[in-house]
Amino acid sequence: MGSSRITYSQLLETNNLIQANADETYWLCVTRTVQESKLFPVPAYMMLSYMMAYYRYPSLLRKIEQRMSAEEIGDRARNAGIKIQNPSMGWALPGFYLLGREWLISLGLIRPQDALDDLVYLMDFWKRFQLSWHRNNGHITNKEFGHRGQFLPERTVQVFHADMYDCKAGDDLHEAAQAFMAAASQYGFLISCESRISLHNSGPYKIAEDREMIVRDFMDLSESDFPWLDGVAADVPYNNITVTMAVKDCHFYLVDDWGSFESKPEFTADKLVGVGLYTSDTLSDGYLPVAMGSREELTACFKTLTEKVKDATNKLWRRLAGWSRDQMIDAGAITYFSIVKDLAHVAGVYEVDDWMMVDERAERFRPLFNDEYSRDALVALCIGTHTSHRLSEYTMMQHSNGPQRLYSLIPYSILQGDSYTTTCGPVYPGTSCLPAKVDRYNTTRGVIGLEEYNRLAREVRPPALDPKYRHLCETWVKYHAGEPLADELYRIDQANSRLLRGKGSGLRRADVEKLRNPR
Amino acid sequence: MAKLLVDNDKYAEPNASVVVDAYHAAIQDLIRRKLDTVGGDWASFVFDKSYDLVTAADFAAIEKKLLATGHRFDWSAMISVRERPEAYKPAAGVGDDLATFSFEHPEAVIAPADENNREQRGIGDNVVKYANNLIGIARYIRSSDRVLELLTSGVPENTVAVIDDSGGTLTAPILEQFKGVICAGGTVRSHLGILTREYGIPCVMNAKISGIREGDRVEIECTAPAKTAEAYQTGVEMTAKVWRLAK
Repeated sequence: MGSSRITYSQLLETNNLIQANADETYWLCVTRTVQESKLFPVPAYMMLSYMMAYYRYPSLLRKIEQRMSAEEIGDRARNAGIKIQNPSMGWALPGFYLLGREWLISLGLIRPQDALDDLVYLMDFWKRFQLSWHRNNGHITNKEFGHRGQFLPERTVQVFHADMYDCKAGDDLHEAAQAFMAAASQYGFLISCESRISLHNSGPYKIAEDREMIVRDFMDLSESDFPWLDGVAADVPYNNITVTMAVKDCHFYLVDDWGSFESKPEFTADKLVGVGLYTSDTLSDGYLPVAMGSREELTACFKTLTEKVKDATNKLWRRLAGWSRDQMIDAGAITYFSIVKDLAHVAGVYEVDDWMMVDERAERFRPLFNDEYSRDALVALCIGTHTSHRLSEYTMMQHSNGPQRLYSLIPYSILQGDSYTTTCGPVYPGTSCLPAKVDRYNTTRGVIGLEEYNRLAREVRPPALDPKYRHLCETWVKYHAGEPLADELYRIDQANSRLLRGKGSGLRRADVEKLRNPR
Repeated sequence: MAKLLVDNDKYAEPNASVVVDAYHAAIQDLIRRKLDTVGGDWASFVFDKSYDLVTAADFAAIEKKLLATGHRFDWSAMISVRERPEAYKPAAGVGDDLATFSFEHPEAVIAPADENNREQRGIGDNVVKYANNLIGIARYIRSSDRVLELLTSGVPENTVAVIDDSGGTLTAPILEQFKGVICAGGTVRSHLGILTREYGIPCVMNAKISGIREGDRVEIECTAPAKTAEAYQTGVEMTAKVWRLAK
């Protein structure tokens, strides 16, 4: 019997958040691409990862919030291209947990009202993070925004816009940037065991009547959290790389909560007309320009990075090709489960045992995860054909019109005495077939050990989040531009800008464009 | 025997997958028996005693029972069938049988040779529209052993990779060296589709082909319109042809 005091309004809200996630999960799974691989047993590791999320996320989020609130982490996430954007926070945090919960319900191993405190807390954490991270657009998800991923403030977008170098199909910079993005995308898929969670697109931002900007993040590229990158990724100089990409005569009409986009007409390389390059992490004060001093420097840097990424790809592939099935499953499941690990980095409470291990409660299920059962159980989870998904024949689910619900709601009967349980318990010990993580983390403050990394993270005070500025939002700027306090705020982002350094808060988009093209 | 909440599901329907149905029935039977051992006390069972009572060995026994019926699992990753050949259906086209292997899709659109001696052997979804069709030599790539071999010896010029893996990892170290790709799975938005677009390599996904053997000269109609998201969502057919050329 539960002992928590969940109220009717909490239940109403939690069920609403669960249902919103259910609707979008179905849409994403059905309309976006299917993930498959002859190298990795993808469905098997995905199923295992959902179990890991179910048993560990609530405890790990509580541990993080003892140090830093979800809202503050959301504010900090806007400042860096790290792995707590979409798809990690927009979809995976609730998605992996709820998919794990639903599978356990379908097995009969838990009921919809079990681990109620965990469930209510996790959905509330997610809501608070998302609203904070998205506060400049006022939505909770890209889906709610009509599949649009704008979250940056004007002062950051202006720096990206101003400092970007023009390019066109066939020129050196265009070729170098395109080659880098191709190589980095491929490397990202390999790092993430065939998933796309090392890659992220956000935006678009309208930088001219005929141009839009997409911000592309390539994350976890160097020696950092993943044990399988130890050694092979030592020469990749940046752990996170952000490429700003201007595109002409092409409208990105959809940027979803998996961080992928659709455009009209279809985006092809010849439409790329501008690029910029940045790095960032939890220890940097926002985005740091990389080789942005001149067009030639940027071109050369893209070429160097491409070679380093290709070299790491070859070394990593040879390593992975020699792995056992269990090692592949561990790496894939850990990649998925740890998709929100940067929450712990931001809070300075990251531990290898928390994020790079398979919880023993999840590990029990491994013998079930042969390729066929994993595939069929996963498909059923994603399209809503397990028995727990079935509803009254009168019901018409969003998108499918079928009598289904992807995630079971919490029964309100618990408010009038029906039994429930509160939590699945604390973090249990974990195991892994992978080599132990080497204590080496490539950060914007150099290659350091984890203890140092956590210590520095706890000391970080991003200037834009100083109490003096933290809540000077876009609405405030609208009515205070040009005032000393607004100028101070903008100069924080402009500090490393080639063209906007010290310019303050008064510039409009056309002013930025004039600075880019003074003639 | 103890009853589970799912035993009283008003709207329950069988799963389309017989393996899922068999597994879930066996797991529910297991849970009922284990719950009985604690006197049916759900609150102490669900997140406490079940951790010790419902074990990996129990789940392994469920799989063993299914295999004892003669069932062999479909495989998706080569490592699965390699490590446990006794549990999976055999893999073809990855070893000595390569010379005689070909993808045979039941919906492959085929046609007799045209005036240019091109025999249509299938269709696929074009990823990017290019100015000219692509001609090259078909080479099946279905295993990490084959990739390693090509990584070591070099990918022969004019290779059109014929793949049934729409992912981006199997061929990661050699993908850039392909002249073209025919992928018998996925969509233009699959990882392989994304990567070939980024690299500028002509590619058809979701290819339904027949009779293309290792070493055949093939032509891909990559001058066809690229298949759009709307076409997928509305079920509109937008395909590019795949031909086998006279040797």
